[in-house]
Amino acid sequence: MNYAVISLLIPLLTALMLLVTRSRNGWWVIGSSTLSLSSAAVALQSVMHGGSQWLNLGDWESPLAIRFHLMPVSALLLVFTALIHLLVSIYAERSRHSQTKRTDFWPLASLLHAGLAALWLSNDLFNWYVTLELLGLVSVALVTISGPKAYGPALRYLLLSLAASLFYLLGVAVLYGRYGVLDLAVLAELTDAGPTTRLALVLMTLGLMLKAACWPLHLWLPPAHASAPTAVSALLSALVVKGPLFILWMLWSRVAPSELAVQAGPLLALAGIMALIFGGWSALRAPYIKTLVAYSTVAQLGYALLALGLLLYWQKPELHVALWLFVLAHGLAKVSMFLAAGEMQGALGSKRVRGLKGATQTMPVAMFAFAVAGGSLIGLPPSGGFLAKWVLLRELLLQPVHWPWAAGVLLGTLISAAYVFRVVTLAFDRANPTRPSYDPDRFAQWLALLPAILVWGMALISRPLIEWLTGVTA
Amino acid sequence: MTLTYLATGAVLWLLGLHALLVQRQVLRQIIAINVMGSGVFMVMVALATRGTSTDPILHALVVTGLVVAVSATAFALRLALPVIKASRSSAKSSRAVEPKL
Amino acid sequence: MSGVESVFDFALAGLLLMLAIGALHAPRLYVCVMLFIAFGLVLALTWARLGAPDLALAEAAIGAGLTGVLMLGMLARSPQEVMEVSRRVLSRGNLAVWALSGLVLVMLSQVLWRGVSGLLDGPVLLPDMAAHHQEQTGVDHPVTAVLLNYRAWDTLLELVVLLLALLGVRQVRLSRERFPAPWPLLLAWTRVLVPLTVLVGGYVLWRGAFAPGGAFQAGAVLAAGAVALRLCQVLPPIRWQQLWVRALIVGGLMIFLLVGLVSAGWRGGWLAYPSAWAGTMILLIEVAAALSIATILTLLVVGEDEELWP
Repeated sequence: MNYAVISLLIPLLTALMLLVTRSRNGWWVIGSSTLSLSSAAVALQSVMHGGSQWLNLGDWESPLAIRFHLMPVSALLLVFTALIHLLVSIYAERSRHSQTKRTDFWPLASLLHAGLAALWLSNDLFNWYVTLELLGLVSVALVTISGPKAYGPALRYLLLSLAASLFYLLGVAVLYGRYGVLDLAVLAELTDAGPTTRLALVLMTLGLMLKAACWPLHLWLPPAHASAPTAVSALLSALVVKGPLFILWMLWSRVAPSELAVQAGPLLALAGIMALIFGGWSALRAPYIKTLVAYSTVAQLGYALLALGLLLYWQKPELHVALWLFVLAHGLAKVSMFLAAGEMQGALGSKRVRGLKGATQTMPVAMFAFAVAGGSLIGLPPSGGFLAKWVLLRELLLQPVHWPWAAGVLLGTLISAAYVFRVVTLAFDRANPTRPSYDPDRFAQWLALLPAILVWGMALISRPLIEWLTGVTA
Repeated sequence: MTLTYLATGAVLWLLGLHALLVQRQVLRQIIAINVMGSGVFMVMVALATRGTSTDPILHALVVTGLVVAVSATAFALRLALPVIKASRSSAKSSRAVEPKL
Repeated sequence: MSGVESVFDFALAGLLLMLAIGALHAPRLYVCVMLFIAFGLVLALTWARLGAPDLALAEAAIGAGLTGVLMLGMLARSPQEVMEVSRRVLSRGNLAVWALSGLVLVMLSQVLWRGVSGLLDGPVLLPDMAAHHQEQTGVDHPVTAVLLNYRAWDTLLELVVLLLALLGVRQVRLSRERFPAPWPLLLAWTRVLVPLTVLVGGYVLWRGAFAPGGAFQAGAVLAAGAVALRLCQVLPPIRWQQLWVRALIVGGLMIFLLVGLVSAGWRGGWLAYPSAWAGTMILLIEVAAALSIATILTLLVVGEDEELWP
């Protein structure tokens, strides 16, 4: 447990240190992410052997005070967060196109890291409100780094995020009024299916869905993620939207009584399917590269929402695995895609999808990274995306009654294939390629490829991974 | 007494939400979010009066919430200013419309 | 409950609702902001009525005071058209939207009401537990005990949120604005008032250990004094470039974290203060936090580009 707390405190202290010294040296953040990663890995190791752990902050009795809960999933997410931060910081330090030079990117990214770690460890409804606000403010501040053109989307993001927090907070107040506690684990044993609980859950779900950009509350995401600097887009898409999703999962799988969960499940799953279809459709029609990638985030979140909805609907613990595999696979693939897209649009000098014409010739590594990551988003075997989809489909195909859901997944897959191939075919059009304005940066391109390779590498450990996740999330 | 303020809090929250959806000016939307926040805080403070003595936990939560609210408002106001100016100068000829939610 | 009291409650609630509607829908933005400030002040009164003097202090200083000043500052910088009466409120298309949204509002309020009215007889568990542990916390005021003992982690993160607001504001560059020359009477008044705000701020901070008050309220009062001085140009610009400014801003969090780390090393529990030292440690955290809060709030209100950046 102490290692998990250290993994949270390292980025926080780094951020403060960077602010006091006004240092803009990225190596501090790379170093702190490495340390945080290794300490999170130790925490994960200890959870794998010893099971989940509790830490009462200040040594007070549990429902009175806040306590941290280190579960296997939260330890995994700690490692994942630190890993993504490490990759993105190396990219931001090295690339010419990261748009983060001479800005506050480094302390803000560290604070984002700390905020996410605090969210994964927390087990308290109100503490989650504070971490959600923290994440909202730091994300908006990161978006504004890219200058005046991002102010509009950033403002919209901020206002919606604040309104969403107030939905969530009203839900927290109602739950506290009804049950008298804020600690999630204690609350889980008290809840009944009365109208008060129902109201609280609806309010909190709406707020969290808005924050996680679930369809139909997703409209703020594409402009905000697309107008942010490349390194920031990668962090936002890979990590930040997963925070509210985590709370949503905890809330519905632990607190909500099963009668309510069964009622809410189909609605969430339907929203997931809609996200897949409409998000994918918008990605297919997006004129700009980064908008395309951002809409694909909306679509891919649909899978996670679908898995969550179905697992509540059928009360099937196997689907927890699908949910978290989607989160991990999407996070890695999306980092790769955003970094590759940022490199290509920087070097080729065009933000439009059309500007990628002939990119396989001019920037082969970056385009390869984009295609490989896209393959995982589509769910081509044997990628991480395939793994997640396979776990989901296995449940869907077992019974003919579930086939309509499987059809929805299939349609979503076809659309994601369409938007990935839209880019890939254009990139293979070598007749009259867009000439790069700069020498393409080899290192940054390989860096963009690395997470894509990692996500395909998930397939190598698929069996133990699925077995372990099945054991710990059930 | 508790019931009166509980209801007032809920109504304030709804009024704020309503204004957030129908108003188009950024400053009005920011005020709307603040009114929504005050509504939630009022629900919490009203709930704090239920027992024999007032509930210090809810009071502490509201203090935290107030500070969070003012931080976010300060940032939103600062961000709103260039957005308003930009939308004025770009849409001067036609009917000036601010970016909406 | 006596009849007079419930009449008072209804009057207060009605006043709040009317002020809120005015602040949200008045045709002139300036009026909206004014009504919003009035709303904040009546809200402070309501908190006092509901037995929450801590909140009344915080609301008057932070909610109504600072938020109001920030909004007025924004209005002063906005282009003239923003101030004009918005005619769109009355157009026909909007009327339909209004009618529809009003209907939805009434329906929603019923749903909300069904859920919320069940809260009156919910269990009250935590206050008894809090009272039970009060002696070990090192402070006598229950709200301070919650903020700095039971839920100290929330308070720490909240300082991060405040810091982030400043960092966010730092990213947004505005064209330079000059303060108008101070008005002689204002100058004279400020010179009298500011020592008083320092005194009051210190008192509110110290009092927090055993009575309503504490770091946030004290920080807000101190910030009010600093803002007044800055607007009169008695105080030189507070610049992010200066090391002591950054040290003050980050200091609250730093000390809080250090105390957490020291206590972890000493007693083996994160943020678990050794009971003999708890009072002192909490006071240390509160002083550092109040100074941080005061500096951040001051910069949020009067910070211009040259002060915030680089």
